[in-house]
Amino acid sequence: MLESLQHLINGFGIAGTAQNLLYCLAGCIVGTLIGVLPGIGPIAGIALLIPATFSLNPTSAIIMLAGIYYGAMYGGSTTSILLNVPGETASVITCIDGYRMAQKGRAGPALAIVAIGSFIAGTIGLFGLVFLAPPLAEAALAFGPPEYFSLMVFGFIVLSNVTGKSLIKSLMMALIGLIIGTIGIDPVTGDARFAFGSTYLLGGIEFVAVAIGLFGIGEVLTNVNQPSEMLDQGVIMPRFRELYPSLQDLKKSMGSILRGTLSGFGIGLVPGPAPVIATYASYMIEKKISKHPEEFGQGAIEGVAGPESANNSACQSAFIPLFVLGIPFAPPTAILLGALLIHGVSPGPLLISQHPGLFWGVIASMYIGNFILLVLNLPFVPLFANILRIPKKILLPLVILFCITGMYTVNNSVSDIWVMLLFGALGFLMRKWAYEGAPLLLALVLGPRLEVAFRQSLMISHGDFGIFINRPISMVFLLATALFLIIPLIRMIFKKTSKEGG
Amino acid sequence: MIVGIVIFAFGAITALLSLKMPIGTFRMAGTGMFPLSLGILLMILSGAFVLKGFFQGKKEQAKKEAPIESPESPIQMGLFLGSMVLAAAFFNLLGYPLTSFLLMVSLLKILGVKRWRVNIPLSLVTAVGSYFLFVKWLEIPLPKGWIGI
Repeated sequence: MLESLQHLINGFGIAGTAQNLLYCLAGCIVGTLIGVLPGIGPIAGIALLIPATFSLNPTSAIIMLAGIYYGAMYGGSTTSILLNVPGETASVITCIDGYRMAQKGRAGPALAIVAIGSFIAGTIGLFGLVFLAPPLAEAALAFGPPEYFSLMVFGFIVLSNVTGKSLIKSLMMALIGLIIGTIGIDPVTGDARFAFGSTYLLGGIEFVAVAIGLFGIGEVLTNVNQPSEMLDQGVIMPRFRELYPSLQDLKKSMGSILRGTLSGFGIGLVPGPAPVIATYASYMIEKKISKHPEEFGQGAIEGVAGPESANNSACQSAFIPLFVLGIPFAPPTAILLGALLIHGVSPGPLLISQHPGLFWGVIASMYIGNFILLVLNLPFVPLFANILRIPKKILLPLVILFCITGMYTVNNSVSDIWVMLLFGALGFLMRKWAYEGAPLLLALVLGPRLEVAFRQSLMISHGDFGIFINRPISMVFLLATALFLIIPLIRMIFKKTSKEGG
Repeated sequence: MIVGIVIFAFGAITALLSLKMPIGTFRMAGTGMFPLSLGILLMILSGAFVLKGFFQGKKEQAKKEAPIESPESPIQMGLFLGSMVLAAAFFNLLGYPLTSFLLMVSLLKILGVKRWRVNIPLSLVTAVGSYFLFVKWLEIPLPKGWIGI
């Protein structure tokens, strides 16, 4: 434990250099802007800015990209409260009470409590990371190919189960992502697969193109397809002096913040879109234990404080599986994994021992980032919200230009732009017919790893599938997977019989 | 349901193409085994999805999937997407500054910035601004095209 603290202090030394502080600040500002902007969420935002980090060392690059990630999460809350438009899915819950507060003239306290709650969650989350990550990394050393395979399958099933309304649709998306991931060179034999003689396809499908296409271009096209009246909504602008919550607000929120932090941290550790589940879970907990549950939905500050703290906390603990196992459980961390690989860093159990500077530097920078966001968000919220005054008919072309430019810079290739446009059109159609993009993207990133783990496991066992259930850790993951598949089925049957009975 | 059939076809094509590759054994899987398994799994899932849609009834399905659109949406969408396709097609030939300017002009026009005295200066400022940001400041080698800058 003391050793971890010592490492953390060194981490602060690394994150605290003028250069890294600057990158952290830049990441937080850009992230907040991205979060506020409609049509571009944290996933497309991080993907777009990966090329901008090519000239940086891996530590500075990840510090900046992580800053964009949690900056975007903050920014998303701002639009939820002021506009009733969630910047990203994790902010949907904040709309309920946040926007009601804004309508009652209490946008300021709502925004401030988001910043304060997130900062407290970030602080507690930091200690969780410091004390949990190293022992988990040691435990992860016991993971062989069968365990990794079962864990990844578990991750896919959980993610598919909790994203979207239909499990079958999400599973189909995950399978399509896995198939797209097989394009290129076979990771085991080195043979070409689905390349059709093209040198571009031989290199595999660029995941950044898929991410920007599905989440950036797809969202813009969805906006273009809407009637213009839907785009013109009024913005509630708080004044500077209205920003601060009263003592009573703080008192009311403190318990919610702490509960949100703890539940969010736990949820961030398991596969799935952790921040989204964490916010829902926290809202339900707060409503259930409140003495005035009728106030929820009418502008209860606890309904903003709890979910937003849970959101921040889950974002932070989601870094644990990424760093410790090398397996991202949600699309934003999947993009960060891609960025780490581009910079020549392969996350996994050995990351902490092989790249301690990077690991602890990034952890310390998260805390600094939280502080920067607190300072940025309290006084400058109206300034950020001003971006919403730009009409969408000007904003959307700008986003497109930025997407095309950013995409070209990844490999200096127009082919990447074609792939991005193709996936943009696909993303639009998927939104139209309620298919989720997250399982597809995660499967694309994890596909090659899943295949290698699968084939290595069978090589070890000489073709015996029993290896996946004979090893205890692997068996636990597979049992959990089976549970996640069976529960919706039972629920469906139960619903049907109760309908028929009623 | 049509989407389900398209996905089924995608799975079938994947499986068929995988069969042309070495499949190997479970002990030593060949290049085609993993995509073949994925293709078959996708066919099973999409098949179940199509059947489920068939039995649930088309009306209910269509009601569920109806998106909110404006009457002029399809034309606007087509023009918007077409402009992006043209920009990608002429990116190398025209170069970054000219492509970005023309793309902005057309996208702004499509989205309703119809007055040229607003559209042209706005596009010009964006194109010049992004040129200085990406090419001059970040030193990203973007295509120069025939204008040579």
